[in-house]
Amino acid sequence: MLAFLLRTVWKKLWTLFFVSLISFGVVYLAPGQPSQIDPMNPRFTPQQLERYRKAFGLDQPLHVQYARFYTQLVTGELRSFKDNQPVLGKIVERTLNSLPLFLVGTVLVWCYAFPLGIATAVKRNTLFDRYTTVLVFALISIPGFYLAYLAMIFVVDTFRVDVIGLRTFGREGAGWLYGAMDRTWHLVLPSLLGAVAGIAVLSRYVRSQMLEVISADYVRTARSRGLDEDQVLYRHALRNGLLPFVTMLGLLIPGLIGGSVIFETIFAWPGIGRLGYEAILSRDYPVVIALNFVAAVLTLSGTLLSDVLYMVVDPRIRL
Amino acid sequence: MSAKTVLILAPTLVSVFLVQSYFWVPTFDDQVRGDPDRLTRYIESSIGDASILNPTLSADSASSEIGGLVFEGLIDRNRDLSFRGRLAESWRIFEEAYLAVDETQRFPDGTPVGAEALRRRLEGARAANHPSLKLVERIDVEPATRVVEQVEEKPAAKGEPAKTAEVTLRRPPRLKFVLREVDQDFFTKLDRLLDGYVGRLRPARGLDPALAARLKERAAELLPATEHNPVILFQLRQGVRFHDGHAFDAGDVKFTYETIVDPRNLSPRVPDFEPVKSVETEGPSAVRVTYKRLFQPGFESWGMGILPEHRLSPDALRAEARALGRDPNRFAVRDSQFNRNPIGTGPFRFVEWKTDQYIRLARNDGYWEGPPNFREYLYRIIPDPLTTELTFYAGTTDEYTAQPHQVERLRQDPRFMQFSGLALGYTYIGYNLRRTPFRDVRVRMALGMAINAQEIISYVLYGQAERTSGPYPKQTDFYDPTVQPLPYDPKGALRLLEEAGYRKNGEGWLEKDGKPLAFTLITNSGNDIRRAVMAIAQNAWRRLGIKVETLSLEWAVFISERVNKADFDALVLGWSMGLDADIYQIFHSSQTGPFQLNFVDYRNPAADELLVRIRQEYDPARQVAMARELHRLIAREQPYTFLFVGKWTALFDRKITRQVRNPDGSLRYAAIVPTKLGSPKFDFNQWIKVPRPVDTPVHAAQ
Repeated sequence: MLAFLLRTVWKKLWTLFFVSLISFGVVYLAPGQPSQIDPMNPRFTPQQLERYRKAFGLDQPLHVQYARFYTQLVTGELRSFKDNQPVLGKIVERTLNSLPLFLVGTVLVWCYAFPLGIATAVKRNTLFDRYTTVLVFALISIPGFYLAYLAMIFVVDTFRVDVIGLRTFGREGAGWLYGAMDRTWHLVLPSLLGAVAGIAVLSRYVRSQMLEVISADYVRTARSRGLDEDQVLYRHALRNGLLPFVTMLGLLIPGLIGGSVIFETIFAWPGIGRLGYEAILSRDYPVVIALNFVAAVLTLSGTLLSDVLYMVVDPRIRL
Repeated sequence: MSAKTVLILAPTLVSVFLVQSYFWVPTFDDQVRGDPDRLTRYIESSIGDASILNPTLSADSASSEIGGLVFEGLIDRNRDLSFRGRLAESWRIFEEAYLAVDETQRFPDGTPVGAEALRRRLEGARAANHPSLKLVERIDVEPATRVVEQVEEKPAAKGEPAKTAEVTLRRPPRLKFVLREVDQDFFTKLDRLLDGYVGRLRPARGLDPALAARLKERAAELLPATEHNPVILFQLRQGVRFHDGHAFDAGDVKFTYETIVDPRNLSPRVPDFEPVKSVETEGPSAVRVTYKRLFQPGFESWGMGILPEHRLSPDALRAEARALGRDPNRFAVRDSQFNRNPIGTGPFRFVEWKTDQYIRLARNDGYWEGPPNFREYLYRIIPDPLTTELTFYAGTTDEYTAQPHQVERLRQDPRFMQFSGLALGYTYIGYNLRRTPFRDVRVRMALGMAINAQEIISYVLYGQAERTSGPYPKQTDFYDPTVQPLPYDPKGALRLLEEAGYRKNGEGWLEKDGKPLAFTLITNSGNDIRRAVMAIAQNAWRRLGIKVETLSLEWAVFISERVNKADFDALVLGWSMGLDADIYQIFHSSQTGPFQLNFVDYRNPAADELLVRIRQEYDPARQVAMARELHRLIAREQPYTFLFVGKWTALFDRKITRQVRNPDGSLRYAAIVPTKLGSPKFDFNQWIKVPRPVDTPVHAAQ
């Protein structure tokens, strides 16, 4: 077990190294130059531009820049081009902002997907199952951002109420209960819309998993023992049906960064996804590369976690 | 609890909890739900965040907007766009001019030229009221001196950094004139008075022969024979304090200037202040700014926010560096925490800044003009235009700039009040005059006449634009309203092309000497309006029989590979401009190199002279006359096809109004009156929000 863990971690560290190389290189292949000034500023000379490049170390050879970059990232000295703030601090702050959205989204996905998946499996081939299937596939196919815009416009036009950002902006004077409910209200739309695709996809998995389990021999045995239907479904079938989903927990982790770019941007949510998006637009290289690196770390640790979880839950593959 | 119950209860409870939260949030019509203080806050939104809240270092519009509230300059613009004193109470502009005394020359009567003799001669003429000297207040002799100058030498090989060397120059004696007003023709007049003496002067006379050879090109700059030094004398407002209570004085103005020109600070404003020779304090409440040369647009740069010296002086920075554990020798203004916690003298003081979320300002109760009505100003960052619009409808931002297609609909909405004006700038098609077909003015004229700009305005911009005929913003006096835009006349265009020697061939394409008239029109991607203009122009020109291809390129590639390398035939682009008359960099023939802005290679000696004289002219009326002449000239030459100026419409919550104090101390509501540019925020400090819209005499709607 320990040997297996060490081996996996070693392999993943190598992958991480190559990811760091590639993400550093790719950014430098993009057209345009990073700087804090507009190169089209009429009263600027190329000499002055050069001075800026030098000040930010952009004139040195790439491998020197690479080494310096990751040393600074690890020591926390790396600063954003855009506002001169430490990159690491920014990433931590934004991750904390993204966390409630991610948690509520995940809770919604798991709360809705399982009942929906089980219900459609149990009532398979009924009208309910067919309508749900159509709806679920529609939700999978409609782009999330489009749905988000429709929902936003509908809610704002109908209720004339704020749905953007962490809370109703400019309302610090309200009491704590108002404040807490306000934050809750602002979680509703982005987390629900972020969860829609997840609910749709996961409920299909649950449905097929349940169907498979329901037709298994031990379920028939349980039925033939005269247990009532609920006992059969929720005690015997569901437990075994859930098994594969436990490992999915690990794979959720990278979603903290990647899954939220669109909704965070649309809802002006000051989270980690939007940080990356804006860093790319403003060519803020330190933040772009650092985020890329963090995403790689999260993905690799996510797969590691799911490997471990799988071993824990399923005795058959325990080493 | 059985698994089934959990599976049903969990989603139900989660849903109920989430949905009930709706009843706790405010709506557009009930903005005070849970928080009555909402009415004392103004909320503005922006697509991008600020980057650095230090007016000497910032270059983006968000930072300047916040900077404009926290900091204050010496001057700003009045409602009618004339200059108005802020931290400066008043100012006076005059000139100090220097004339080298060349002792090798002789007067017409044969006596050698000497400093004292020359002065006596001129004093004599002044006493006789000679018109050339009517602006002169006094004449002094400056004896010969040695001056030490830092000279940047040309690098020996390409790519090497330029070296600076210290050279000692022997400057010949000079006469110093103090003029009541700036006069760019002073030496021309003097030359007539002195029978061509000024014209015979050579700049290098004061250089050692060895140096003269090495610094030949720099001689005119190092030891000019004549020198205009415009001087601005600012009288500062007294009793003004920074937000931390420290008194503002002349030292802060001088310090702000020094911060900008200090090369360690990498200030993007260096070019505005490069023509400044010196900034000196004259007591605590007067500043004397001397320029190296005539540069009228430099005056406006004194609208720059003034920094508090006591926070950023070298001593203060060293103390800050030590407190932060950083190396004091490498700690510059750019590293200071000040840039995220600014202190100024403006109507609002800085409170907090959450990156990419908001910036919070609170009113400055000690503001010299009286505190603003709003207690807080919030600047929120919303990257998406639709989101911005929705926050406006929800009442969580107070201002929204409508997209062209929304203007008609939103104008009718009783919830909002609207203001509009023209943009400062224009969209144009520029032709690369280095390339054959475009050298002929008739071809350029024909291309312009083939495009129906009115159609672009009606269909692409939903009527939210106006035609323009020349290089100045339409609201300024520099724009000559008598110049008409090119008419839409495809037949006339064809006639012009025929005059220029183009004939239709068998396939219907225009050609000259067997070569078809064919070129590529390019623009940057990401701007839908420019893309549409490109397609409309292509269509119009193809109908004339011109083979036009189009291409849109990513901005960075467009600029670095095409514009800077002058590798294009024609392009669709726009300029956004300032309010000054100086467009030297866009049209002067010296500005056609790589990275320079006259990338269309427009060259015209008459235009060159006007461009130089306009930036040297300090008399507004004369400057306007020359600018209008330049406008007419450029309109005749059509190096660009001038297409349109965009129109903006800003909407505000109708619950916002202006509250002013009557002489007897009572309060009343007043109408919001926009500036000449259409901006309603001139009186922003008097704005306030009320629970229900109040009727004021309707603002001057345009």
